[in-house]
Amino acid sequence: MIQDFFDIIENAMKNLGKSKTRTILTLLGVIIGIAAIVSLISVGNGLNRAVESQLQELGSNTIFVIPGSSMSFGSVKLTNADLSFMKNTRGVTDVAPIYATNAVMEFNGKKVNVQVSAVDATNADVFQGTSTFQVAEGRMLSSNESGSIIIGNTLANDFFDKKIEIRKQVLINGQIYKVIGILKPQQQAFGGGFNGSGSTFMSLEAFKRIEPNPFPGIIFVKTSGKDNVEDAADEIKEYMTDKYGEGSVTVSSSEKILEQVNQILSLITIFLAGVGAISIIVGSFGIANAMITTVLERTREIGVMKALGASNSKVLAMFLVEAGFIGAIGGIIGVGLGYLLAIIVAFIGQLSGFALSASISWELSLGALIFSMLVGMGSGFFPALRAANMDPVNALRYE
Amino acid sequence: MVKTSELLRLDKVSKIYGMGEEKVVALDNVSLLVCRNEYLSIMGPSGSGKTTLLDILSTMMKPTSGDVFIEGVNTTKMSNSKLASFRGKKIGFIFQTFNLLPRLTALENVTTPMWINGVPRNERESRGKEILEKVGLGNRINHKPNELSGGQKQRVAIARALAMNPPLIVADEPTGNLDTTSGSIVMDILNKLHKEEKRTVILVTHDNSIGKKAEGHIFIKDGRVTTDKKVCNFM
Repeated sequence: MIQDFFDIIENAMKNLGKSKTRTILTLLGVIIGIAAIVSLISVGNGLNRAVESQLQELGSNTIFVIPGSSMSFGSVKLTNADLSFMKNTRGVTDVAPIYATNAVMEFNGKKVNVQVSAVDATNADVFQGTSTFQVAEGRMLSSNESGSIIIGNTLANDFFDKKIEIRKQVLINGQIYKVIGILKPQQQAFGGGFNGSGSTFMSLEAFKRIEPNPFPGIIFVKTSGKDNVEDAADEIKEYMTDKYGEGSVTVSSSEKILEQVNQILSLITIFLAGVGAISIIVGSFGIANAMITTVLERTREIGVMKALGASNSKVLAMFLVEAGFIGAIGGIIGVGLGYLLAIIVAFIGQLSGFALSASISWELSLGALIFSMLVGMGSGFFPALRAANMDPVNALRYE
Repeated sequence: MVKTSELLRLDKVSKIYGMGEEKVVALDNVSLLVCRNEYLSIMGPSGSGKTTLLDILSTMMKPTSGDVFIEGVNTTKMSNSKLASFRGKKIGFIFQTFNLLPRLTALENVTTPMWINGVPRNERESRGKEILEKVGLGNRINHKPNELSGGQKQRVAIARALAMNPPLIVADEPTGNLDTTSGSIVMDILNKLHKEEKRTVILVTHDNSIGKKAEGHIFIKDGRVTTDKKVCNFM
């Protein structure tokens, strides 16, 4: 039985090898379809991991409060009273607002509009260890350092003609500041975090020289544990809605953000995977067509095989294995190409500052391979059945 | 138990195509007996039913009624898969149009029945080469059919027919597509298979000059067979 199986496989490989052009053309549909699906799932999984990782850094017990209906600074100006409310909400342990405004930075004879942000030193612990505030060069701000700034990696390298090095001085709205730290390059998996790549960070005291009445742009609210995040978020949301109106302040827990991002990712993945699936369907028609042609061309051969002792089931197996092989070969190439595409897409994404990565897993590879083999065998089933049921006498006399 | 040397027996076999007024009786109540080590020709004019008779006695087609026995086994009652396996081991075919598999070499063509019928892998190549040597094609084992002459192709087909060492060889107009010289070579080989290897050979032909080279003759006309009643010797 095992020998039989290997013989059938060897026979299938020989037959496919002998009509290389047809085999290659038939493979194309399957390759494209599988490559599309694998690359999408791979990038999707990679993005999902990046989102989860970014959110995990901020903690699963973090709530983001952002004035405005989208994840950007809005027109609502949250007050100290609002911060107090949040601090007193049940389960909340820390409330860390990030203040932000725009200013003009001057360096090396060039002026550029930049975003300037500040965090109250008493809240600095909230951001410790997150990628938002990790320095690549120099050091972090210490309390009340009002003449020093930390700048984002992109700001240091790309905004001016010359790199802003550590210990260099810049002007912000005409005031001199010394650069004491440059942040590590940041990649954003989603818009719900805070990306400081193009920002300048200073103490709140220094910030008040630029913006005397600062209003928080985004507020990180920490709870004591994962269990009371949702309740605290609901309570804050209700307060904000009552005070400022529906949709004027966005309140999201990291779980909710992850859920929303995953929903969007899922929809996009499903849509694009659907496109990939269409390609596979087209590919399966290609396989079916190739197999119908093959069976017709080899009618006499089928008659001979039956005369030599091949049973109907053996003939069926022979053609099914051939069709399955086409699927499998297409699957192997498609998986390889899919991962390659995913790596390229992720690389391009990373260059643009997105935390894209290609997730390569043996489960996805094996699943795609089995799927493509089944597509092949499914497509080749009826032609194979036709071959199996051929009358040997008529087949031998076929012209 | 003393066995008879009966190899093939047809018992009141009929084959009818179509139905009602469109009925065509290709074989009409045919009974015949073929013993081991016989060399028979089946002859008859075109449309006499000799092709149908060949198809039925070689188990490629089932009769409408009657039974076909090979080595005492009633093949008419067998399932398709059992019959295919039985046929593969008991009957070697030689066709007028050779019917070699075009993408395979001579050796691969000869070993095809071996893998179909479960001959162990390590035996196939040596056996295949041996058979090709026997038919004088030891130096052509890696040639494909399109690289062989008509006579050589038919010799490969004969080698293939011998692959499973069957007791019965059935040849359908084996020289029909060959020139006189190649035809003679093929007939000599069939003769040798009968005389030296004691195989039973049934040759179907419309050519009397070929047919009379066999030792026994079966004449068929309008679906009816003329043959002497006989019994086979005991072994």
